[in-house]
Amino acid sequence: MGPAALILLAICGIAFAGGGILLSRALAKKSANVVKGEPYECGIPTTGTSWIQFHVGYYLFALIFLVFDVELVFMYPWAVVVQKIGMTAFAEIIIFMFILFMGLLYAWKKGALKWM
Amino acid sequence: MSIDFLILMKSEMSLTLIIFILLSLKVFTNDKNHVALLNLTNILLAANFVFGFFFNASGELFNGMFHTNNVIALEKNILNLGTLIVSLQAFDWLKNHKHLLEFYVLLLTTLLGMDFMISSGNFLMFFLGLELSSIPLAALANLDLEKRKSSEAAMKMILSSAFASCITLFGISLLYGTTGTLNFAEMPKHLTGSELQLFSFIFIFTGFAFKLSAVPFHLWTADVYEGAPVPVTSYLSVISKGSIVFIFISVLFTLFRSFEGMWYNMLYLTIVLTITIGNLFAIRQNNIKRFLAFSSIAQVGYILLGLSSGTGAGATSAIYFLIVYTFSNLGAFGVIALVSAHAGKEEITDYKGFYANNPTLSWVLTISLFSLAGIPPTAGFFGKMFLVTAGAGKGNYVLVTIAVMNMVVSLYYYLRIVRSIFMDKNETPIAKLKGSNSIKLALAVCMIGVVVTGFATGLFENINTLIGK
Amino acid sequence: MGIGLLHILFVSIALFFIGVYGFLTRRNMITMLMSIELILNSININFIAFNKFLYSDKLDGLFFTVFIITIAAAEAAVAIAIIINLYRNYKSIDIEDADTMKY
Repeated sequence: MGPAALILLAICGIAFAGGGILLSRALAKKSANVVKGEPYECGIPTTGTSWIQFHVGYYLFALIFLVFDVELVFMYPWAVVVQKIGMTAFAEIIIFMFILFMGLLYAWKKGALKWM
Repeated sequence: MSIDFLILMKSEMSLTLIIFILLSLKVFTNDKNHVALLNLTNILLAANFVFGFFFNASGELFNGMFHTNNVIALEKNILNLGTLIVSLQAFDWLKNHKHLLEFYVLLLTTLLGMDFMISSGNFLMFFLGLELSSIPLAALANLDLEKRKSSEAAMKMILSSAFASCITLFGISLLYGTTGTLNFAEMPKHLTGSELQLFSFIFIFTGFAFKLSAVPFHLWTADVYEGAPVPVTSYLSVISKGSIVFIFISVLFTLFRSFEGMWYNMLYLTIVLTITIGNLFAIRQNNIKRFLAFSSIAQVGYILLGLSSGTGAGATSAIYFLIVYTFSNLGAFGVIALVSAHAGKEEITDYKGFYANNPTLSWVLTISLFSLAGIPPTAGFFGKMFLVTAGAGKGNYVLVTIAVMNMVVSLYYYLRIVRSIFMDKNETPIAKLKGSNSIKLALAVCMIGVVVTGFATGLFENINTLIGK
Repeated sequence: MGIGLLHILFVSIALFFIGVYGFLTRRNMITMLMSIELILNSININFIAFNKFLYSDKLDGLFFTVFIITIAAAEAAVAIAIIINLYRNYKSIDIEDADTMKY
């Protein structure tokens, strides 16, 4: 082993990576048309460019949805054990939902749920 | 069980109650009288602070996830007091601010997170507290919504603090892999000192150093301090930092006790860098908030110097210094908050000739800066003395010499500001400022604290006996 | 040979460093946020793998993962809100443009 092995490794690496690209370029059938250039090749044809501006209201909804959606992940482990623990678990989830509900009320009050 | 639960978590319960009162006010009422609301909040916070002295018990809950004792109760009291002072100082700024209740809800949420963090007995609880205390802080930094600097500061803060918590978490995950537990009480039994454990400890240490803004992880501090509104900056520099120091003490001293030889070396390097670079950069600042940011970086170096001793005296001196630091730093920030709210000026050159129109405020700022510098009659001197004495216990005199030499450097830049307040001539000095009663009360509390904590020698002994137990 | 702990750790370490690399080199704030999510996902993989292969009698690691997922969502929400506000002030989300404060 020595520098020779390293050089060999480098040559092999370049050959392996470059060979694939060259081979696919040499073998693949070339066809260029409008449909191929589209981002999605299936489904209904897209209209307009994809660089339109979204209204900032979408982000607001997305943020609120994201937070409330993810918090529900705590309901799954709760649902598994709720029968075993009984009323304590029920009271705890009520408190949890109450805290989330206050957050929702705040968002409502700020007008974040209104579509402009 | 249920009674235990209420008593042990009483400070968290009372904070949650205040948060919900304020949130309900926000949700269910419309036209608000800002002054009345601010007074109500301050009274609630004062009640919360007083309540912190009663019904303190020791014990643990949720299989050791949450534990509390007298030292932790003391630490929570310090944080409550600091928050109360910050809230009093924010009066003039918040009086005309649109998002008053949001400020308090977010502020108290971070305080709740800090309370959970310092009484955590499990890495899961620690992580939750850490995130609960750092995510709303970024939103707080952005509270001046239309100011460019404010949003830039918030962006820098959220990205860097998220990155820091990622690093900490990666360390925790590796530690979990090697020990099989997340519990602080069980973990030391499994710490064998294998390479992977040391590696994960470095990650956790890095995360802490990041939150403490110790060099070389300090780069976010100056920008965030400069851009954030003044009360948020003072909250960041005192309360947020203090809570991290408290949990850092228990993590280093109890959890990673067996790695002491290693963390001493890491602390050594961090302390030298933090004190030196903090001081050197503080000299060349022109913005007063940025200047105090670098000065607070240097102060963190001194706190770490006390911690490096690894003894109870080190922990005591760190907690004692944090009490002193709360008073002196909030005193300085109180004056800056007043000037910023009324005159809108934040550059050091604006303070030239400040004495001409505002003699009382000048003295308050001067005494606070003297205390930060550690000049004898003030409490800051005693705080620094205890820290350096504790740090010298290991016999590493190179470290102590560097620290003491840096105190001389820091004297230079603190006195530079005092000189410009009293001696420099200025064509247009800041006009006579008329602060609200609330901010005057806060400054008076700070001044009394700076003078009294230095001479109340019993305080240090009291903390020492609490820790010894 | 089945897939063992080592293989999974290999993936998670790679993911972690891809995230760190992305965070340090990317100039777009949203992309930096995505890099942070990558790091958090690598940590999740770590916890799940350790829990399944080494300590399958307890569920500590799984619960940690659940909490990391929710906190990551909260963090992303706050960060995106801050970035939207920054965009309103700067008209750009390139990190190089937010340079009002230096040194």
